[in-house]
Amino acid sequence: MKIYLDNNATTRIAPEVLDAMLPFLTERFGNPSSFHSFGSDIMDDIEAAREKVAALLGAHAEEIVFTSGGTESDNMALIGAASINPLKPGLVISRIEHPAVIATAEYLKNRGHPLKISDVNSDGTLNMSSFESCISEQTGIVSIMMANNETGVIIPVKEVARSAHEKGALFHTDAVQAVSKIPVDVRSMGIDMLSISAHKLHGPKGVGALFIRKGIEIPPFMLGGHQEKGMRAGTYNAAGIVGLGVAAELASRHLLEENGRTGLLLDKLESGLLEKCPGAVIACADAARLPNTATVLFRGVESEAVMTLLDMEGVCVSSGSACSTGENSSSYVLSAMGIDALDANTAIRFSLSRYTTGREIDYVLEVLPPIIEKLREISPYAR
Amino acid sequence: MWKYSKKLMDHFMNPRNSGQLLNPDGHSEIGSPQCGDAMTLDILIDDTDRIEEIRFMTFGCAGAIAAASALTDIAKGKTLEEALGISNDQIVEFLGGMPEEKYHCSVMGHEALSSAINDFKQRRDNMAEHLESILSEMHDDLAAALGKGSISIEHVHPIRVCVRISDGEDRSVTAVLEKELRKRTGKKVKVSIAH
Repeated sequence: MKIYLDNNATTRIAPEVLDAMLPFLTERFGNPSSFHSFGSDIMDDIEAAREKVAALLGAHAEEIVFTSGGTESDNMALIGAASINPLKPGLVISRIEHPAVIATAEYLKNRGHPLKISDVNSDGTLNMSSFESCISEQTGIVSIMMANNETGVIIPVKEVARSAHEKGALFHTDAVQAVSKIPVDVRSMGIDMLSISAHKLHGPKGVGALFIRKGIEIPPFMLGGHQEKGMRAGTYNAAGIVGLGVAAELASRHLLEENGRTGLLLDKLESGLLEKCPGAVIACADAARLPNTATVLFRGVESEAVMTLLDMEGVCVSSGSACSTGENSSSYVLSAMGIDALDANTAIRFSLSRYTTGREIDYVLEVLPPIIEKLREISPYAR
Repeated sequence: MWKYSKKLMDHFMNPRNSGQLLNPDGHSEIGSPQCGDAMTLDILIDDTDRIEEIRFMTFGCAGAIAAASALTDIAKGKTLEEALGISNDQIVEFLGGMPEEKYHCSVMGHEALSSAINDFKQRRDNMAEHLESILSEMHDDLAAALGKGSISIEHVHPIRVCVRISDGEDRSVTAVLEKELRKRTGKKVKVSIAH
């Protein structure tokens, strides 16, 4: 039995999504840009997918550009927005952004764009006074994620967008983890650009989208053909885009009910772990979080050792550990919250999906406590 | 997942010599907060300078736990000099290989062992110093116990010493030395006599 609780890394493709994609990988292989109807008919499917993605975000279809995923969307938004107004070259991000945003912002910084990075609070929320002090008249683009991938903490982007707009800056949000888990409405939230990725919402890998509010003109990101009104050249990934469309439709349909159910399972997991594992602490316990994400510090016990033993029981999770990636530093997200390396290296992330069952949670609550106990017995930090 | 050998997994799942000793002859605590690994090591040393008992505690990944376990397995029964000569490569080889990124895990064990041995040597040197000063001061009751005999140091250990006497009464000599050593070290020290 495999129990997959690493849905913030990626999700399984929903069967409905796969069914919808298959024809585009088999008989309907035409190029949507072709003149003949064998190809051009596929453009209708792509436009239908665009409508579905737009509906999930409260956007208009013409505001959606298909990309290869969240990373490309983030690159396109930041690099594009940074080039709009030479009088406002500044960028503002936070310490807990996804590497796709951080690396792009650093790239732009090296090309002369002043970069300000906002601190976060110890509970993982955005430090609003630090954030406000980062924005200035010079700021052209603010990019703050809607929800953090490690902690699940939800950032009140509406407030952030308002502050950005007060200084005349554009507001981009990486909503890769948030979309499908919490309601998103680009209009009422005041979002100018928003990144999503299909494989985080039971769609396929290799496809995503960038919402660009009507009226915002950013330069093309990928140069070549005229696809996506010239904004993003390259032959359409028809199967992927159709898959994203269906995944978005399913996400809209399941948004309230399924996330409510997932939230209850997460509560059960958290309270069970707190009760059964000495030293367990839920990160950001009091902050508003995604209904599917919990990062738990099993203090005194190194997380890769826990993951290794959990893997042997068929349970897949991820960690904030330095050792698991071969990198010599622990999670920058937890570190930004003031959690020291010793505790950060005990962090295990559980991320659920609408396919997670109560029995799976029961199983984890059965196998994990003895693992923690076994490792605590030989840990010098467990007392 | 790292590709770990069967033997490494066995040492991770069933660590040898884990835990702590109540009264170790040498103790070390080392760790790198940056990497997040840490370990403690306790050793008992016999009178032939061999590692009689060894116990470890580790906060670390499977590789770090297995490397510590392997180190204790290799070191047990070895003389101090032999134990200091245990190399990281030896630990890696003992475990049937290790992913390259994990080599640093084996370094920690080596560091812990040499630090515990240093601790032992320091405790032994302290004890030797106390004993030497007692012998050189030669208070009245020690002189009385020895009579006309002479006394020299045979062997020093952090919690027990052995002296050689040419004459005198064993029981009075040990009583005097144990009392003096207790006064100076604050610990109960066992004294034995060789002739």
